[in-house]
Amino acid sequence: MSEPISRWTTVETIGRGVRAAPALRTGFGLTLALAMVGAGGRVTIPILIQQAIDRGFRKDDVQVDVVALLAGIALVVIAIASLAQRTAVARLGRRSEEALYGLRVRLFEHIHRLSIADHTEERKGALVARVTSDVETLAQFFQWGGLAWLLDGTLMLMVAGVMLSYDWVLALVAFAIAAPLGYVLRRVQSHLGRAYDKSRTTNAEVMTQISETIEGAETLRAYDATQEYAHRVEAASHERANAYIRAGTIGAFLFPSGEVFSVFTVAGVVTVGLLRGPSSGLTAGAMVGFLFLTYRFLEPIAEFTEVLDQTQTAVAGMRRVLGVLEIPIGPPEPDQPQILPAGPLAVSLDRVDFSYRTRGDEDEPPVLLGVTAHIPAGQQVAIVGETGSGKTTLGRLIARLADPTAGTVSVGGISLTRVANEDLRNRLTVVPQEPFLFEGTIAANLSFAHPNLSLADLERSIDVLDLRDWLDTLPDGINTEVGSRGSQLSAGERQLVALIRASLVDPAVLVLDEATSSVDALTEVRLARALERLASGRTTIAIAHRLSTAARADRVLVLHHGRLVDDGPHLELVQRGGVYARMYEAWVASTTVA
Amino acid sequence: MAEPTPELPRGRLRVAFRLVRALVKHHKRLFFTAVGGAAVFAACTVLSAAIVRLITDDLIAPRFNNGSVSKSRVLVVLGALVLVGFVRAAAVVVRRTWAGRTAWRVTERLTGQVVQRLAQQPVPWHRQQTTGDLITRAGVDAEAATAILSPLPFATGVVVLVGLSSSWLVFTDLPLGLAAVAVFPALIALNINYQRRVEKYFNTAQDELGKLSAAVHESFDGVAVVKSFGAEGRETERLAQIARRLREARLGAVRLRSTFESLLDGIPTVVNACLLVGGAYRVRSGDMTIGELTSFIYLFTLLVFPLRLIGFALSEVPHSLAGWNRIQDLLKQPLVADPARLLQLNDDGIVRLEDLHFSHDGERQVLRGVNATIEAGRTVAVVGATGAGKTTLLHVIAGLIEADSGTISVPARGTRLVFQEPFLLAGSVQDNITLGAPIDQPTIDSALSIAEAEFLRDLPNGLATEIGERGVGLSGGQRQRLALARALACQPAVLLLDDTTSSLDPTTEAKVLANLRAALHETTVIAVASRPSTITLADDVLFLEEGVVVAHGRHDELMRDVSAYRKLIEAFEHDRAELEAELQS
Repeated sequence: MSEPISRWTTVETIGRGVRAAPALRTGFGLTLALAMVGAGGRVTIPILIQQAIDRGFRKDDVQVDVVALLAGIALVVIAIASLAQRTAVARLGRRSEEALYGLRVRLFEHIHRLSIADHTEERKGALVARVTSDVETLAQFFQWGGLAWLLDGTLMLMVAGVMLSYDWVLALVAFAIAAPLGYVLRRVQSHLGRAYDKSRTTNAEVMTQISETIEGAETLRAYDATQEYAHRVEAASHERANAYIRAGTIGAFLFPSGEVFSVFTVAGVVTVGLLRGPSSGLTAGAMVGFLFLTYRFLEPIAEFTEVLDQTQTAVAGMRRVLGVLEIPIGPPEPDQPQILPAGPLAVSLDRVDFSYRTRGDEDEPPVLLGVTAHIPAGQQVAIVGETGSGKTTLGRLIARLADPTAGTVSVGGISLTRVANEDLRNRLTVVPQEPFLFEGTIAANLSFAHPNLSLADLERSIDVLDLRDWLDTLPDGINTEVGSRGSQLSAGERQLVALIRASLVDPAVLVLDEATSSVDALTEVRLARALERLASGRTTIAIAHRLSTAARADRVLVLHHGRLVDDGPHLELVQRGGVYARMYEAWVASTTVA
Repeated sequence: MAEPTPELPRGRLRVAFRLVRALVKHHKRLFFTAVGGAAVFAACTVLSAAIVRLITDDLIAPRFNNGSVSKSRVLVVLGALVLVGFVRAAAVVVRRTWAGRTAWRVTERLTGQVVQRLAQQPVPWHRQQTTGDLITRAGVDAEAATAILSPLPFATGVVVLVGLSSSWLVFTDLPLGLAAVAVFPALIALNINYQRRVEKYFNTAQDELGKLSAAVHESFDGVAVVKSFGAEGRETERLAQIARRLREARLGAVRLRSTFESLLDGIPTVVNACLLVGGAYRVRSGDMTIGELTSFIYLFTLLVFPLRLIGFALSEVPHSLAGWNRIQDLLKQPLVADPARLLQLNDDGIVRLEDLHFSHDGERQVLRGVNATIEAGRTVAVVGATGAGKTTLLHVIAGLIEADSGTISVPARGTRLVFQEPFLLAGSVQDNITLGAPIDQPTIDSALSIAEAEFLRDLPNGLATEIGERGVGLSGGQRQRLALARALACQPAVLLLDDTTSSLDPTTEAKVLANLRAALHETTVIAVASRPSTITLADDVLFLEEGVVVAHGRHDELMRDVSAYRKLIEAFEHDRAELEAELQS
């Protein structure tokens, strides 16, 4: 999924990120100040040693009381610093968790309001990834990388400051010797990054192959291919081990290189210090203090290179998250909505075009082209056409799950762009082809129609559709759990639930996407019965897959490659001998016993 | 990994020890190389403290107190510093590299064991398992089991380090050494305590994250429903609730962490300040040099980070143990007998079924005494209402599942089943047809042509085109034709088709059926069929009702003589007949 704004620089991305999640900025200055104080605690010991050696340990005379006094001051400093650090860490953690929560909720809200045109199959995975794994990269960053920036960053600044104040010549020597480490680490890091990319690829390969051999166990068994595929998994697993071992070996050089640089730096500092001697104003205490400071200075560098990498990942994640928030929300609400007239509603299509938004820049062929039709209030219409003819999309446009790219769809004489969403949802309902049920009870799924429905309302609608006998066959009646995506019910039963759910809205217009899957005879009868009751007195637009449904309708609209090619009652169309007549003949042939 | 992490009994260390011994059993050399590296690292760390003492006492003190220091002394001490630094760095490289090798080779071995076991278990066993669970065991659990191995050599090294450092500290100065050493257990205990407590929050957060991810999937999948009922706000709130629970769990960890981080940083610093005061007494009394005191504090500072690793390594034990146990559970399950062993193989090409019974878990009877003899080369349509046992019958003949009683005799040249839901593997078209078997090109060509699957050649890279998850998507009918070609490429004596042609359009179906008749004179075809057009193309019909063959004969005979069969077939036509009546009235 490529958003046009993906070319934002790191600084721009961070700026926009902070604006999208303002909790990050709140009180950040104070957090930083507290972290500085906290870092002070971690240079206390080197300073204490320096002070103690220079003031307490005189030649042949150790003044314990001076050392004790210095240590006492140090303890107070440490206590304050620890408290400051604790507060800084807690503040950063709290702010970032709040920011991430806010970002997640904004994403949920925004994605739910995107046009259905942005919810294509190919994009679904990407949208889920934005709110899960991409926000998680940010969470990981704040838990480790962000904390390291805060603690180690302030520590390095503090150490460098103390070093410079002791002896700027020695400090510069230390910096000069240590500087190439940054370069070495970046080099190792980039090799490491590539090696880990490869490892992740091999890991994904292993996981895919494992799940395939398990999901396809019956097929592999039926074709005696079990051993062959087990060997393939083993080979992939061997490759994975090799890749991770290679990456691990590169990574093994990361920390020790800091070690090597620190001994050289210490050696350099000691040599220069000894050469300059006490005459330069350098003291023994400062020299010893320098030893400690050098180690402290180089300690976080190796970690820092990892943090830089993590920061890049987090910025990339943030960029993708912000990209989603930039997608304009689908069918926008009108500024001054018009109220749909009471009673039955007519539906009109006026030169309607539609194409799905594409992933790249290439043009996707239009799904609908110049469709014009007027459906009077109360008419029962069937839309037919082959797979890919655009009939499902047309149903979605009538329900305003998306707006046409050109042309107008009107309901009750008002263009849908001027109807408030809530008004439309109360008057028009879609029963989708594969009715989607949420995990939970039947009652919970029915309540989805309207938040304020009582159990009695639900029960009544079941009676109205004459489905009591079906409900009684279920173990817990209306409280039966439907399972994940309704998997505990059969396909036909899921449609029954969807019909009841639709009836609870009591719509003036019903858009029905007929299911292709076959259902058992009894459910078929119930579906037909319920549907008939639901459709009566309403404008009904059925996206028909079975020609028997089309034949029963008042009128048939035939789509072919996105164009309306036939329009009229069943018998008339059969006699006319067009696309519809050919479809009908093929259907008759397949259901005839020779 | 949904299973809760088991609470370990008190003997966490003993459990850890036994687990590690079992894990590294076959990779001892790798493991002990890593441990050796860690031990050298520990020794070098203590040596580096000794060098800090030399730098202070032999280089800095003489130069700054007496004005001069011998050049050779400087060279020796700094040379030792660099040397020890290099050895210490090399030891880290060895430790990390070999720890990684151990972990991944053990993972590889465990994955292999699980996969081999899965391959040995026949279909009835697989049907009793949940796919997700098996995938977790072969993948995630194998990695979890070995997670302990990565920090372990370091942790072992830390134990050596603590031992060496303690001795060194105590030998350098007994009272001060004892005081410093007394702090180690407290620090280790603090670390372990922190790891255990924070783990609870991490686990909760991980759970909530899983739930959030599942709910988001569900909500976005059902976005059309959400929008059609104007429920965007309600759905957002539902997800926000889970996100809030995730935030709370993470905040709990943050609070705990901020306190412990400060303690773990602060305590050693406090101890260091106290050591300095104690040291001042010892230096004054002449029991200690300034260099010794400096190296003391230096070593103590160096130990702080490694000590944290012990807590970390121990915190991995429950995860690793859980993963290991789940894998062992799977490996210890006895092998289920292969149903195919019950198939009697004949050379006369006949499929003979005698008194076949089959039930699910000994309860729901599916087949109740199926008898049939199918001559070589016949095409037989298996017809029956939903639940009559058609698919089960095919699976029993294919030797995938085991009949409770009865005998099956099939041709020795073998049977091939085309499943109702074709399963395609991620890979090339060619690979999906051969499934890795050595099948020559002419055989594949003829299979493709019979199955009307030549469209596969027109894919971007022909038969080398990748399909599935990462490749080209195929429609239901196209998948069926590929699956049929796969079966035909094996040139079986008996072809079992489970409603294979139903997702093809009527024209293509007719072509496929005609091809089968024309090309396979000697192959027996047993096909579950529901469309009248398919049924009428068969030589014979096997009519099943509630698990029993109630009729076996020609379609027209059955239409004439068997009223139940007539009714079923007419039901297919019923829809249209009713409609025509309706329209004429």
